[in-house]
Amino acid sequence: MDNKTIETISYLARLKLDKDKKEKITKDLENIINFVAELQDLDTKDIAPLANPLEKVAPKREDSVTSKSRKEAFLSNSPESDQDYFMVPKVVE
Amino acid sequence: MSIKFKTLSQLKELLEKKELSSYELVSETFRNISSSKTNSFITLNEEAALNKARDFDEGKVDGDLAGIPIAQKDLFCTKNLKTTCGSKILENFIPPYDATVVDNLSKAGSICVGKTNMDEFAMGSSNETSYYGTVKNPWGLERVPGGSSGGSAAAVSEGLVCAATGTDTGGSIRQPAALCGITGIKPTYGRASRWGMIAFASSLDQAGTFARNAEDCALLLNHICSHDQKDSTSISDAQENYLDNINNDLKGKKIGIIKEFDISSLNREVQDSFEQSKKIYESLGVNFVEVSMPNIQLSVPTYYVVAPAECSSNLSRFDGVKYGYRADDVGNLEDLYIKSRSEGFGDEVKRRILIGTYVLSAGFYDAYYKKAQQSRRMIKNDFVEAFKNVDVIMSPSSPSSAFKIGSKTEDPIEMYLEDLFTISSNLAGVPAMSIPHGFANGLPIGLQLIGNYLEESKILNFAHQYQKSSDWHLKNPNLGESS
Repeated sequence: MDNKTIETISYLARLKLDKDKKEKITKDLENIINFVAELQDLDTKDIAPLANPLEKVAPKREDSVTSKSRKEAFLSNSPESDQDYFMVPKVVE
Repeated sequence: MSIKFKTLSQLKELLEKKELSSYELVSETFRNISSSKTNSFITLNEEAALNKARDFDEGKVDGDLAGIPIAQKDLFCTKNLKTTCGSKILENFIPPYDATVVDNLSKAGSICVGKTNMDEFAMGSSNETSYYGTVKNPWGLERVPGGSSGGSAAAVSEGLVCAATGTDTGGSIRQPAALCGITGIKPTYGRASRWGMIAFASSLDQAGTFARNAEDCALLLNHICSHDQKDSTSISDAQENYLDNINNDLKGKKIGIIKEFDISSLNREVQDSFEQSKKIYESLGVNFVEVSMPNIQLSVPTYYVVAPAECSSNLSRFDGVKYGYRADDVGNLEDLYIKSRSEGFGDEVKRRILIGTYVLSAGFYDAYYKKAQQSRRMIKNDFVEAFKNVDVIMSPSSPSSAFKIGSKTEDPIEMYLEDLFTISSNLAGVPAMSIPHGFANGLPIGLQLIGNYLEESKILNFAHQYQKSSDWHLKNPNLGESS
């Protein structure tokens, strides 16, 4: 787990690590990755991956409207919103 | 009349006989909470709770849990009541809707008195990752209550409420139940709706409950569990009344002991309690058999790939735009994402997002994530095989009793091993519970009972019969005198 890897994954996760914590977090991640690395030696030939314990297919339902618009309720939770929109810094120069 | 340490069933009876009004009960609950030193609650719901209590007293509320004050883990969305998930990033989040579990319990007549403290986004085994301060264990205020549902466990243990909800992704109900000396159950994955639960690891998260005994847990579970079209992984099989089989005779039933769990390496008192519990079951006519689960040792590493992977994906929704914390002084949109997330999340959450991002990234996906999903199937297969021969599997709930606050925060892996005995049930999706069964270093420890898929009734039956033959669940902390 070198500095470049940490920089890359932090950017992918849109996180910036504090300078004073970076060393400790890097070391922790390295230890955790080493801890889970034992899985790599496991013989998993012919074992299908299990994503969900129930292995159920998502059920289908009637294609009908089940909920009403609650635009105001949802917009009111935004740190910054206009009548119809979530507000963010200017995207297009 | 003191309401502290009364069970749900006892309170129900007092209300029914009109020896106590719900208003008195709820008012007393808030008085007890305000003098508590455990930091179990993040947000209180005083006005609404007292109003509902008054309505009950006027005969306007009915249901199985009518008039009973309960607490909700702060991971369940509660309409018009702040829901933080233990994080700064949701410090001001007021959901416009109730989680299905909250709605179910409310419709059963219960009264939500507040939201309990928890590890940030349920990531932790000690409650020390909460942005709102560590919860203290009622059995010793310098000790952790366990986690992540530590506030709920401590609140029930201290006698502030007779019941509280929790969620369990890797042991977050069973380990704090054990460390706080109370009963807690996580049903089968999919039995309770995840709708309105703030997601951590969606294929592992499951709602459940804490109470003072198994019988109360059964009553609560009758309402917590339901089929819900709003959760695509919700189970539609018919649901039992969990009280129906609670008094079944255990004669001739079989409990499996997992060969690969090395109990002999644990604290002497933990071992002794385990042996004593076996004797109790033997006296009830239960037979013990050893079951081999060769892949169970892979549970912790498997979990620490699967859970962070799902967490990194789930927590990408926190971007400072639609709800939650937004950082100031940002240049452009990307800065807004990065700064809001970096300031809003705590260290453990960041660690897990980063591990998840790493194991899912190009070049590592097969080596870690796919491999972990394969080992997950191997662990599940071990359970399927074991349950061909036994009714219930039994183990300690956690390796030791409550540890001191601050003693494990430096080493994440040491903390992760707290869930050594609990994690495998989440990976397989089977129901499991913890009941108090003794003490180590003067602090409570728990016995874990794991059941086959949809056999909540059976583990509740085993737990209830144990509690009829023992008094560990009747022991209460003596706050102020214990150290």
